[in-house]
Amino acid sequence: MAALRGEVSWFCCGSAWGPCGTAGGGACGTCRSGNYQHAWPNTSDACLAITRPDACGITGMSRRGCGFRHYTTNLCNGARVGTTIADCGPQTDLFCGERTCCGSACGSNRIIDLTPAAYSAIASLSTGLRPCSVDTV
Amino acid sequence: MNQTLDRRRLLATAALGGVVGATALGSLAPEAAFAAEATAVEPGMPDPNFAEGRISKISGNMLLVTGSDTVLHSIRITGGTSIWKLQPTTFDQVAVGDGLYARGVRLPDGTLAADAVWVNIVNLHAHIASVGRNVLHLDHKGQHIVGHVVPRLSAAVYNGTPAVSDLSLLRVGRHVQVLGAWHPDTNEIDIATVYAAA
Repeated sequence: MAALRGEVSWFCCGSAWGPCGTAGGGACGTCRSGNYQHAWPNTSDACLAITRPDACGITGMSRRGCGFRHYTTNLCNGARVGTTIADCGPQTDLFCGERTCCGSACGSNRIIDLTPAAYSAIASLSTGLRPCSVDTV
Repeated sequence: MNQTLDRRRLLATAALGGVVGATALGSLAPEAAFAAEATAVEPGMPDPNFAEGRISKISGNMLLVTGSDTVLHSIRITGGTSIWKLQPTTFDQVAVGDGLYARGVRLPDGTLAADAVWVNIVNLHAHIASVGRNVLHLDHKGQHIVGHVVPRLSAAVYNGTPAVSDLSLLRVGRHVQVLGAWHPDTNEIDIATVYAAA
């Protein structure tokens, strides 16, 4: 897969406090906020029918199953983290055309959500959203 | 000079010395600080330098935290720890019962010397069910969440444009991402930032 450029956010899963308390283990049943994991929009036909990256004109988002590794780079600072698929998401079509930039480094459309442990390894959780690139090596 | 290693070494030193309120670490721009972190964690595995849970006790500069998976964490706050609770804040604003995520350096005794602590932070994907005066009623996976607009602090980002304090463009039925701070043991949050699509 060629590197895919877009936006990255974070989500909670597994045992959790507050509004995250009902999050559960995600589509793969293994998701935990403290693990280096992520949600991917194309884990199955059922997942893709919900996330619909194609509605935003995104092509080249490969079908990948639970446990597959992706590497996400924060385009604001170059920090990179490797994670495995543990859930279906983000719901890309709900934010079609959204664009996030750090100076001249920009990403459009939500392509990946990281767990808090993974996101906080490359950005502050309080940023909420960052431009990123995602690859497999 | 490797600024990150120096920062981490100083952080650990400060933690071991029990220093609170010191400014010896100076500051790094947040993005630069995270860029400099070396991650040696295997994809899919837990990060030993990360912790989450709820604060069960505060003793001096130590937070005793019960993880959501019941694992207990000792988290040390140092002069170099950045603390977020709706906004960047200070240690005295942290309370028993608060939820948190923390990242830092795991010391040999198992204590996490915190580099950053995010208190009560939530990042919700929700629909706007209704809009009131200084409040958004949100539907988050079937849960009703009351989002309080905090004057001079809450902001909206409309389709990636710079954050503005005007939340009047938010509409019922719209999907939003809401970054905020939870009120412990309630279904209420204070809103830091609302991200709304076009």
